[in-house]
Amino acid sequence: MTKKKTKSNFEQDLSRLEEISQMLEEDNVELEDAISLFEEGVKLSKSCLKTLKEAELKITELKKELGKISQVEED
Amino acid sequence: MANEVQILTVSELTKEIRRTLEESFEQVSVIGEISNFKSHISGHWYFSLKDSDAVISCTMWKGFNQYVFFTPQDGMKIIVNGKLTVYPPRGSYQLDIRSMKPAGLGELQEAFEKLKKKLEAEGLFDEKFKKPIPSYPQKIGVVTAIDGAAFKDLISVAERRFPLVEIVIAPARVQGSGAAESIVNGIRLLNQYPGINVIIVARGGGSIEDLWAFNEEIVARAVFKSKIPIISGVGHEVDFTIADYVADLRAPTPSVAMEIATPDISDIENFIVEFLSSSSANIEEMVESKKEDVAAFYSSYGFRIPLDILSRKSQQVDLSLNKIIQSIEKFSMIYDKRISLLAKSLDAFDIQRVLKRGFVLVRQNSKFVTRAVDFNTEEKAMLKFYDGEISTH
Repeated sequence: MTKKKTKSNFEQDLSRLEEISQMLEEDNVELEDAISLFEEGVKLSKSCLKTLKEAELKITELKKELGKISQVEED
Repeated sequence: MANEVQILTVSELTKEIRRTLEESFEQVSVIGEISNFKSHISGHWYFSLKDSDAVISCTMWKGFNQYVFFTPQDGMKIIVNGKLTVYPPRGSYQLDIRSMKPAGLGELQEAFEKLKKKLEAEGLFDEKFKKPIPSYPQKIGVVTAIDGAAFKDLISVAERRFPLVEIVIAPARVQGSGAAESIVNGIRLLNQYPGINVIIVARGGGSIEDLWAFNEEIVARAVFKSKIPIISGVGHEVDFTIADYVADLRAPTPSVAMEIATPDISDIENFIVEFLSSSSANIEEMVESKKEDVAAFYSSYGFRIPLDILSRKSQQVDLSLNKIIQSIEKFSMIYDKRISLLAKSLDAFDIQRVLKRGFVLVRQNSKFVTRAVDFNTEEKAMLKFYDGEISTH
């Protein structure tokens, strides 16, 4: 379950990073905002790179009936 | 025997006919066109084989028809192998079929075109029904043979490109009898499984017979019905199946299907690294421009006014001072002395700065030695560092 959460966080982090990247490229951003955005971006970058580095492909095999699937998932 | 008329019951006669027919036609191969094909809920098939002049009823029991790789369609020309039998309750004879194959590849091609036309007319291939493929999937459902080469390819592509993903495999038969049902079941299971973002329906290359399951109507309809977007990757680039037309996206091969389904991890890494360098450059630039703003402010006219006042005042002070100096001209000598002292201390300060940078002053006999030729190696020397003086022997 925790692994699942990390994954969805990764996508969120990445889209936030894209957002920050765009905001920093805009001219009207205040310096203080820019610095805090940058700090946030660095943090996100680190965690994203870490997630990527540690990622391992997970393979789940479905059984014929759905009842068995949930068992597989719980294992 | 010829004189004696033997009276038989209907059952006896039928039994006799049955024995005769079954013995004479125990193993026959027949070519004909299918009509009135019905697949009963029990799994048995009932249909007729006909040519221009005759018709014969046929049955194919579930135990045998499960080995047929295609679903027969009316009008399809087939070659069957079986025995003749009699169905006593109706007094009819029928062909009890054990195996069946299309009369030629043209038959499959025709069936393919027919189904394609039909589904196209129904709108199953319409662009408006194509669902978008997500860019960052968390779970990719795969319908394929778990021990097949296609699955290995899919896994290795996913591992290389986006190992963050979870592959959920619904193992399926991808060729031969029951393959279509198995694929349909896989799609259905994955639609019920929580969190699947995209489904890949895949199979490695093979003959038209091998790939036939992907040309079956039930597979096409299951692909169409899927709420989750489906990428098809069946056979090689040249192979087009009905499933390809219905799928939300057709990939030429299983590997390409996985490439389409996954973002490339190195693209993401590049994006992050690019973000770090470009945004820190942005910030630096921003800080520089703020510095310039501050500098501009310092030198602005408004900001200079107090300075101007200050310099005017100091000019007044200087003037008064001059007056005082003039008035105490007799003490000018003292001032000179002071000035020279001041200059000296300034010099000293400069030396200190030089020393601080790591230079050393060398003295012998209270004289500074500034050239190597002046240095007497026999004599004691005083070395003055920035932070103190030492003597050598």
